[in-house]
Amino acid sequence: MLSATMASMLLAIPMLAQADIEGVPLHGFLDVGYSINSKDSTNPALPGLPNGFNVGSLDIYLTPQFEGKVKTLIELIFENTPEGSLATDLERAQIGYTFSDAATLWAGRYHAPYGYWNTAYHHGAQMQTSVLRPRFLDFEDKGGILPAHMVGLWANGKIRAGGGRFTYDAYAGNGPRIAVDSGLPAPGGVLDIQTAGDNNHQAMVGFNLGYEFGGFADGLRLALYGLRGDVADDSPAANITELNMGGAAVVYLEHDWEIMGEYYRFSDTDKSGGTGSHSSWADYLQVGMNFSGLTPFVRVEKTVLDQADMYFAMQDNGQSYFRQSLGLKYDLNQSAALKFELLNSKFADEPGRAPYDYRSFLAQFAVRF
Amino acid sequence: MKSTLFRYISAVLLALLLPQLANAADVVVISHPGTTISAGDVKDVFLGDKQFAGATKLVPVDNASLQDSFLSKFLDMPKSKYSSAWTKKSFRDGLIPPAMKSGDAEVVDFVKRTPGAVGYVSSAPSGVNVAR
Repeated sequence: MLSATMASMLLAIPMLAQADIEGVPLHGFLDVGYSINSKDSTNPALPGLPNGFNVGSLDIYLTPQFEGKVKTLIELIFENTPEGSLATDLERAQIGYTFSDAATLWAGRYHAPYGYWNTAYHHGAQMQTSVLRPRFLDFEDKGGILPAHMVGLWANGKIRAGGGRFTYDAYAGNGPRIAVDSGLPAPGGVLDIQTAGDNNHQAMVGFNLGYEFGGFADGLRLALYGLRGDVADDSPAANITELNMGGAAVVYLEHDWEIMGEYYRFSDTDKSGGTGSHSSWADYLQVGMNFSGLTPFVRVEKTVLDQADMYFAMQDNGQSYFRQSLGLKYDLNQSAALKFELLNSKFADEPGRAPYDYRSFLAQFAVRF
Repeated sequence: MKSTLFRYISAVLLALLLPQLANAADVVVISHPGTTISAGDVKDVFLGDKQFAGATKLVPVDNASLQDSFLSKFLDMPKSKYSSAWTKKSFRDGLIPPAMKSGDAEVVDFVKRTPGAVGYVSSAPSGVNVAR
């Protein structure tokens, strides 16, 4: 009896060892950079953006799989704040159940699936051609005007149709609030996605419907998307705005071309101040082409944001701007890229905002593992 | 004169086609005996767009000794693009890229003992399904 038990234990050792060796694969991205920024030409006395070397972000993600149809996606991010301290975030914590190729349901914290950029690249600097994301699509605390993350439910899938694929995303989650820091210059507000719970119990809902072409148009993706929900802010006025965003994206990534454009239209309704509805828009277009690992690109991005719309007026990032970028990405190999980028940024003269402009040179060394 | 010209053209065509035919015969996609996939599904399976065959979860595996030929023949893409596609897929959808096996023997062994397994080898062994 004892020898039988020992024999079975000995037989189990190689299996345990194998499982231990295989473990859960660890993937990630890391980037470091250098930047030079000119001073604001309208007010050279202001200090301007910092110059010099910087550590971008260390992004680690795991995709543990389970028996059957359950899967998970966990992502941790480590990055420096503008003040130089280290910030960590549980970027994604998703548990999913795949019913079929046409339907996966996720619960948890995920990248909000509007447009294309936000889910395709997000913190994966090595994957994207440019150093910076389009500013209005950047993270909530780095220039973005939309919640880049959501906490809630997300269904997505792909269905073969014609020569290509119909894709869909449908999601609902905690509506963000605008957290206003009264210690900062006005407006001082930043979108807070409310990971721990919704303060006004008003869910935010969204969709993204796309079609990925096959055959002669392989690589072309067209999409329509929308996002709706109430957003309250922490200011003494306690504004509540119904965010209504609709948009369209076109992406072509084939034959060495990289063409990406996204358009966002806002028709937000003031639900607390009674000022009616306000229209704004934002878009970008980026065109690049790969020549044996060398990808030059140009990008223009512009926002026209109504400052009577409290959703934008209360956000630090809510100032309208125009930016032109010219850059170059050099793929050293499949996992490492060097990037160089010139930017010209101009922020509009709007009620409650001072105009400013600056030019930047950015360099970045980005890897994935 | 006509027959000489015909023979010359035939020889040139054969010379051009033979390597293609030989190449085409080099890679055979196989699956577990309980799993049937068509040749038209192969690209979707190896790019993570088709994860199920009926109720069975598919488990594609790569073959290090044949990967370049396979990618060229079935996916029409170089290894760098395949790797990049999987990085994006894994990052966005939480999928795991196909595991890499060292050669035919390892692929055949894995496919035979793993329900839903799909691999590719240089010649079809017995006891597995062949994608047609």
